[in-house]
Amino acid sequence: MEILEFARPHTLDEALHLVRDRHGTAIGGAAWLRMNTKTMPLGVDLSELGLDYIREANGSIEIGAMTTYRELETSPLLEARFGALFRNTVSHIVGIQLRNIITVGGTLAGRYGFSDLNTTLCALGAKVVFYPGKIADVASFIQDGEEGPFLIEKVLLPVSARASYQQMRITANDFPIINAAAAWTDSSWRIAVGSRPAASRLCKKAMVLLGNEPYPSDEKIGQAAVAAAEELQFGSDIRASAEYRREILPALVRRALMEVRG
Amino acid sequence: MIITLYINGKKESVECQPGEMLTEVLRRAGYVEVKKGCDTGNCGVCTVLLEGKPVLSCSYLAIRADGKQITTIQGAAKEAEEFAHFLTAEGADQCGFCAPGFALTVLAMKKELPNPSEGEIRHYLAGNLCRCSGYEGQIRAIKKYLEAEHA
Repeated sequence: MEILEFARPHTLDEALHLVRDRHGTAIGGAAWLRMNTKTMPLGVDLSELGLDYIREANGSIEIGAMTTYRELETSPLLEARFGALFRNTVSHIVGIQLRNIITVGGTLAGRYGFSDLNTTLCALGAKVVFYPGKIADVASFIQDGEEGPFLIEKVLLPVSARASYQQMRITANDFPIINAAAAWTDSSWRIAVGSRPAASRLCKKAMVLLGNEPYPSDEKIGQAAVAAAEELQFGSDIRASAEYRREILPALVRRALMEVRG
Repeated sequence: MIITLYINGKKESVECQPGEMLTEVLRRAGYVEVKKGCDTGNCGVCTVLLEGKPVLSCSYLAIRADGKQITTIQGAAKEAEEFAHFLTAEGADQCGFCAPGFALTVLAMKKELPNPSEGEIRHYLAGNLCRCSGYEGQIRAIKKYLEAEHA
């Protein structure tokens, strides 16, 4: 990746101006940049904006866009509110050295199909805050994107949830061939599936099937797991065929739901 | 553009392009102990400590390190040498190409985790690939090194 001009704004207003009015590209963790052969006319570094935090405020858990995966993995607040969820979600990704670099905002902005984190965020019903204040559902943003230039400031999570993340990889450091997360939050079930290999989607039919019963039966969970695989589209790539992904998914959804239900 | 790096405690002004990664800039400045491995963010060979945390220098924008403290294996030579005795004793070092990044990650782990279990050691070191040793000797060496440190 060649970057012709580099800017390091110190305020969000300045960063937004560079992204919106000067067509700059916001730079998150930047771990993928060297794999890209494009030329970036203006790179906008977000590392001096104070967006590196995990905190509770205004009835939500707020995660700044420049928070690293390692910070998610080791956060006492996230551990207290969501148990091992975030540790389980990100700890399979390469190594600590990479997780000290890659960021929540970068992952979200990229809407990567292979993302582990985006699946968990969708299941939790997370919101994304675009500076200066527009709020959108993470699941909707991942599906539809955002029109025009945008600057992700932070992600909002519910203050607590029972949730589980499940994934399958061919080898430890590879991308998942399929992943799933389930959450009981705000008196309803949410199920998300990613790495299909396309990006994360909610399994709305399966969610309706579970209704608002906090302790669904094994039979109901089995039905929801099958419904999740039936309602989504899958693709084939070098890691797995669409058929294989569809076959594997119900087991992951079932495990996730059972872990949450207890 | 010129950036200022504090490498192994020494202030260095180095030139870099905005899109360059830290490995390239460090090696060009003479810190060739920072090895270039897969260059795709997978193998851990290029690990350096940035403000005390292990990062892949092949995946870290050099310009973002402006004003920051960087430790290469030369900057941690004394501790690394102590650890190397345990690696040697366990026959865990063969070609040695992964050793600088591997040793730096071990030293970072020692600071971050006071008394790691074997599972925690394996998890912490998962980002350091070695194609010679098969890892078992390395795990034995780390455990004995940490035991000796705590003795």
